[in-house]
Amino acid sequence: MLDMIKNYTTFIDRTNPVTKLSLGVMIFITVVLMHNPNQLFYLALMLMLTLLLFSGVRIRYLVLLIGVMLAFGLFSSAYMIFYGEGRTTLFSFGIIHVTEESLMRGIHIMMRGLALSFFGALIIFTTRITDVFYSLMQQLRIKPKYAYSFMAAIRMVPIIAREYISLRQARKVRKPLIHKKYVSGITGFKTTIVTLLSQSIRRAWRLSVAMESKGFDDGPRTYYHQTSFSISDFWLVIFTVLLFIFSMIFGTIIEPFATTDAR
Amino acid sequence: MTLRKGLTLADVLITVVVALVFAVVYSIWGGVYTALQPLGLHLNELVYGVWFIAAVVAYLIIRKPGVALIAEFAAASGETIVMLQFDVMLMLYGVIQGLACEIVFALIRYKSVSLMAAVSAGVAAALSTLPLDWFYGYLGQLETWNLVLMIGFRVLSGALIAGWLAHVLYRALKETGVLKLVGSRRAGHDEGL
Repeated sequence: MLDMIKNYTTFIDRTNPVTKLSLGVMIFITVVLMHNPNQLFYLALMLMLTLLLFSGVRIRYLVLLIGVMLAFGLFSSAYMIFYGEGRTTLFSFGIIHVTEESLMRGIHIMMRGLALSFFGALIIFTTRITDVFYSLMQQLRIKPKYAYSFMAAIRMVPIIAREYISLRQARKVRKPLIHKKYVSGITGFKTTIVTLLSQSIRRAWRLSVAMESKGFDDGPRTYYHQTSFSISDFWLVIFTVLLFIFSMIFGTIIEPFATTDAR
Repeated sequence: MTLRKGLTLADVLITVVVALVFAVVYSIWGGVYTALQPLGLHLNELVYGVWFIAAVVAYLIIRKPGVALIAEFAAASGETIVMLQFDVMLMLYGVIQGLACEIVFALIRYKSVSLMAAVSAGVAAALSTLPLDWFYGYLGQLETWNLVLMIGFRVLSGALIAGWLAHVLYRALKETGVLKLVGSRRAGHDEGL
């Protein structure tokens, strides 16, 4: 599916998933510890540029995605903008009380979310999901039991989605005949979930019986798909560290915001 | 993943599949959550409990150590896959919430499937990520009434949705008879049949 919207591949596509996951955790920690909105601004900006240049996805999809992310980011920081503490009032209406400090903090929280989303989208666009589990098994020695369960279960997601759609269509047909509560509300939710769950449990149980009867276990095994670390991993680590350093430097030279501490 | 032995392939597979069913629900639910956010009144916290329901339901079904953690992690990472958005924060939250449920279930030694067990796990999960939110969202700088509102809504939602609703789903699942296939042998899912 991803191949349809991708134009080209970059070194990030060739990076081991374990490296990308670790870098993701590193960026999360950095973003949480970063209190200077100027530095965070450059970090988010550079991660956005990285997404635009190195994901290889067609530009119009990326622009659409970034637009959605901006809107969601604004929503998620609304609580701080409207109700945060602060002294310099900018706008007041009823219980809403926007101050300079709370607006700054809200923007800071929004940029945190954006920086993480940009990097997350980059990972999704440059990684095959099965490779994640192969490299978890081969590089991190996760037991095959867990990795293969995940892979098998992910294969079932389209089946679950299809079941949900046919369930909804069946409801639509029977809607005039049955009580409204079986269509919407908590009872409707309950019957839907219980149907989906019970079918999925049966399917998973059948599959596990089949896998066990064919000798699937946690013992030593060989892999058709080999994953390993390469020079690309090295480049991506260097690249990310450079992003951090540049945002630190730029954030103290050219300051887009008046304050240096969002707290 | 450091887990004790005792989980069979069937247990893990069923846990992950249950979690992924909820991952689909989470993804749909994300829309509701976001739609409630712009007011800033934390109405979104009222539906926050949906995010721990996978851990509680999976535990009630399988009743073995480690299940709640795997389920919550799988649901969180499943959500990132369904939404096509890898989110470190989401996965971290999943792990912490799963651990909180796991601790509650360890305290009752994986024996009870009572409503109270489910509710206390829900409340524990609701409280578990507050410290992280505190640092990430600068909650200390919120006006006090707004902060109290948020924590109150979240705990209520954890108890009601992750606790009570999860238990309702479990009882309904038990009635379908599908649970006779799964879980720990002494769990007695078929008691009364």
